[in-house]
Amino acid sequence: MPKSLLLISRQAPWSGPSAREALDIVLAGGAFDLPIGLLFLDDGVLQLLAAQDARAVQQKDLSANLQALPLFGVEQLFVCADSAAERGVAPDTLALDDVNVLDAAQIAALIDRYDQVITL
Amino acid sequence: MSTLHVLSHSPFGDSRFASCLRIFGEHDALLLCGDATYALRPGTAPFETLLGRGLKLFVLAEDVQARALQAPDWAKAIDYPAFVELSIEHDKVNTWL
Repeated sequence: MPKSLLLISRQAPWSGPSAREALDIVLAGGAFDLPIGLLFLDDGVLQLLAAQDARAVQQKDLSANLQALPLFGVEQLFVCADSAAERGVAPDTLALDDVNVLDAAQIAALIDRYDQVITL
Repeated sequence: MSTLHVLSHSPFGDSRFASCLRIFGEHDALLLCGDATYALRPGTAPFETLLGRGLKLFVLAEDVQARALQAPDWAKAIDYPAFVELSIEHDKVNTWL
């Protein structure tokens, strides 16, 4: 049984390579059928805003990578409720379907459930 | 003397935004670029702070557009040439790296 991995993505989408690299790790893990989860925390929740325009800042769109998550078997998707509320991000407007919105206690329990954690 | 303060980091979970506003001078202006433009998300604490302060506020239009944000009518959206002019108009520029 392979070890399970939780990836915590906490950077805004256009501030550097972290957001894309976090998605790359998760998609690669999914392609190899690893038990893998993805949690959007802090500024990471801003990756899920709808109608972003990557071209305005000469970047590549992340929405295709986000939409690919279920196709790669990554279905354990989580968003921190506090981070979203603080940034005015309504959970029903996210650019990703079937995301579980968790409070702080639930996130602590989530991290407990996984064998390994990477935070980017 | 006037200073143009330039913020480029997200106002959430970072102290630059709060510190900048704390030491903000009477004749100063603020330019939000990069992730600092997330302060324009309506209903958030940074947004309400800016709204309440009524300071001279500029935002870089392309960064606003990239992040699916909207510049409110009390902020002026500008491009890079206008950013350069703004830098020249002020006595100095304080970039919060």
